Amino acid sequence: MLNQWIFDFAVWVDATRWSTLLHESFYLYNWVETTHVLSLTISLGLLFLIDLKMLGYALPNVSPLQIANRLHWPMLLGFSVMFITGALLFYAIPVRSAQSVWFRIKLLLLVCAALNAFLFHRALRQSAAGWSEGLPTPRALRRGAGYSLLLWTLVVICGRLIAYDWFDCVKEPHPLLAAFAGCVAGQEVF
Amino acid sequence: MPRTIMVLLLSGAAGFAVYADLHLQAWQALLPLFEWMETTPVGAIGKTWGAAFAIIEAFHLLGLALLGGAVLVADGRLLGLCFVEIPQRWLEDQLHRVFMAGLWVLLITGVFMACAVAVKIYYLPVYWFKMLALAVGIVFALAIRRPLLQENVERMSPWLRRVVALASLMVWFTVAATGRWIGFS
Repeated sequence: MLNQWIFDFAVWVDATRWSTLLHESFYLYNWVETTHVLSLTISLGLLFLIDLKMLGYALPNVSPLQIANRLHWPMLLGFSVMFITGALLFYAIPVRSAQSVWFRIKLLLLVCAALNAFLFHRALRQSAAGWSEGLPTPRALRRGAGYSLLLWTLVVICGRLIAYDWFDCVKEPHPLLAAFAGCVAGQEVF
Repeated sequence: MPRTIMVLLLSGAAGFAVYADLHLQAWQALLPLFEWMETTPVGAIGKTWGAAFAIIEAFHLLGLALLGGAVLVADGRLLGLCFVEIPQRWLEDQLHRVFMAGLWVLLITGVFMACAVAVKIYYLPVYWFKMLALAVGIVFALAIRRPLLQENVERMSPWLRRVVALASLMVWFTVAATGRWIGFS
């Protein structure tokens, strides 16, 4: 039922004029994709610096609060660019993306990463009051930084794998994979 | 001064090579190397297992994120946009380690990917633009920017700092953008 609804929605998006224009425009599509990938340097680049700092692998003697506060807004700007361009990439190829195993895993991982970021910031706010220079980074923050590195590494891997068509519905994958991908029996649009 | 002379000599040699079409001869001489790269075990793995290639490609992107983050913060500090209360030289030293880690990840994963599609990329002009940008980026970062900032960062004029930071951002953006364009070619 849900998969049928997602499929119908994707087919409707696919039929819109701008979706076709974006998909078939060599330079526009590639610029959107390039921007999506290059904004990694702002979003994940800054996030990794924060995570590595929390884990004790980078920037010793700088307050973790200082690092997190300073890099927070540029990092969010990077993530905003990533999400906007990511949405445009979905808009350009909606049916195949909506039925991609890797895209679905990526979305689940993104939800986990967002939840982890929320818990991380809550722990950061809670520990801010009693924190002073020289004290070790609280365990909750180190754990959150570790999960963040792992989740975003998996997000990037899944994002990269979306380009591969091994489990696309058109290739009639194993029934379990077809169910997870949301393939619809008798579908003629891929 | 010796560094300035070295950079000028390198630039002059590169200009002469282009003028005398030496780069075309070098390009032709490199074909056997690229053909051999595809026959190596690394090339065979990359060609045979698409999943291995894709995962290594993802780590290439993660290396880019690491390098990009270090470059953005270091050059942001040079431009006076962030961490102005932290001494420039200390921050440079710390971020240099992250930069080098990112660069090594990029180089190792990049060689793996190149081996898998060596002959294809050999004929792609954008691949050679990327290699040129990468060489310029590495020379600029290690032979110009870092020694310059280590020696006299406190006495440098604000304008020179801005020029160094903008040049660094531009060269690494070019490396990343041309690298991404290889995939579209």
